[in-house]
Amino acid sequence: MNERKFSRRTFLKTAGALSAAAAFGGIPAGLFGSDRKLVKFPEKTDLILLTSRPPQLETPIDYFKQYITPNDALFVRWHISNIPTAVDFKQWRLKVGGNTENELSLSMEDLRKFEKVSYAAVIQCSGNGRGFFEPRVAGGQWGNGAMGNITWTGARLKDILGKAGLRAGSVDVSFNGLDSPPLPTVPDFVKSLPVDKALEEDIIVAYEMNDADLPMLNGFPARLIVPGWYATYWVKALSNITVLPKPFGEFWMKTAYRIPDDPCGCVLPGTAPKKTVPLGRMTTRSLIITPGENAVLSANRPAEIMGIAFSGGYGIRDVLVSVNSGKSWDEAKLGEERGKYSWTQWSYTWRPASPGKYALMARATDNIGGSQPLDSIWNPPGYLWNKIEKTAVVVK
Amino acid sequence: MKNPFQIFVIIAVFIAILMAAGLTYAASKDAVHTIELPKISVELRAGDGKETTERFCGICHSLDYITTQPPFSKTQWTATVNKMIKVMGAPISEKEANTIINYLAAEYGTGSGKERSL
Repeated sequence: MNERKFSRRTFLKTAGALSAAAAFGGIPAGLFGSDRKLVKFPEKTDLILLTSRPPQLETPIDYFKQYITPNDALFVRWHISNIPTAVDFKQWRLKVGGNTENELSLSMEDLRKFEKVSYAAVIQCSGNGRGFFEPRVAGGQWGNGAMGNITWTGARLKDILGKAGLRAGSVDVSFNGLDSPPLPTVPDFVKSLPVDKALEEDIIVAYEMNDADLPMLNGFPARLIVPGWYATYWVKALSNITVLPKPFGEFWMKTAYRIPDDPCGCVLPGTAPKKTVPLGRMTTRSLIITPGENAVLSANRPAEIMGIAFSGGYGIRDVLVSVNSGKSWDEAKLGEERGKYSWTQWSYTWRPASPGKYALMARATDNIGGSQPLDSIWNPPGYLWNKIEKTAVVVK
Repeated sequence: MKNPFQIFVIIAVFIAILMAAGLTYAASKDAVHTIELPKISVELRAGDGKETTERFCGICHSLDYITTQPPFSKTQWTATVNKMIKVMGAPISEKEANTIINYLAAEYGTGSGKERSL
């Protein structure tokens, strides 16, 4: 298992050969009904339509055969319906203020003058996998396609806050974007981080995705990147950073995006938590990308099982694969690792001896021992999905 | 052999062309980045309260926010509509809210039997 390199080309070639043509690979047929259709939004490729205003678009998981998710294939998720559809580069400014020594009004040129930082990181919607929750819960009925692995480039938030100069007694830092509520009574989408978190080295304001401009629907011209944490904090079309001398406490922190205050972030299915805390770090998970659900394989021929694994910023230690519904597990070969925030590709060669029906499973463990549960956890908003999933295949 | 005036004119025209090209480039660089969102219409199922539901829910979001949800009990739809009013600030009166809840429970509810045809 010391071999940490396998060629991406091999991965893609084999993956392509094995994959059923189904764009919805991995999503059990019938779960989401016939309403799921592909749709084309500007600067995006055909994505699975969840909702159109504000847009929620899901990536077909076949794209996850690629180590880096293309910009036009990345999922889209907005909260309130007045989303930015036009940005004047000359007028756009990132305003930084509040409990600071200086007020900043940064143009894109100013932002690009800060030291440039670049890394690959998984972006994942808090509700990724919500559609699999049982009992079902309200909200965007995502399959596994509300995620992607992107190379982000931008300026350190720490450097920007340093230029503004934090005053003593700073508690939270809030982040607002160009999106606005359709009515004054609707809470604006604003998120916050505790000041200690906001000053972490790796948090950046990204102005490039995979060395190109951000698509408008993914937060053009710049968005916050909080690697390892769920994307709810990765505020798109960032326009205002405000340092606060008291806890932020507005709707999207105080009421929404919270999980049960319990080590598992879960409660008994169908029950309400007594106490909740804001969502933060992503749980560790893996996904079998190929073969797809109900794929047909040949007995006595080698089949490559391939997938991805990632964690909340700790890197992946190992991925175990089972081809017999979890009776026994064997170690998969991990691919190239490009930093602790990126996902890791893995592969496992299986030579099924006899025809029949099989359930393939994968279980990732991160470098601090975090792993995946056999049974799904449950919470009312449908967050933290990381159950060890089963892919049914037929061997003939 | 061209006289100095002709040479001056040629150079001036050449500079003008360069400047125009430069301006065009600058304009394209500074252009407002714009997208146009597609218009996607969603038809709700026929039923009592359909128009009220379309009118009020449609103020803030497209109606696929209804059609893509799993079938919910009347209690769950009541909680969702109340959340929209009390938490998300939807301007819906109690009477209209009841119409909407009854419609959603009937057409997109667990009791409707219609989830089987989803």
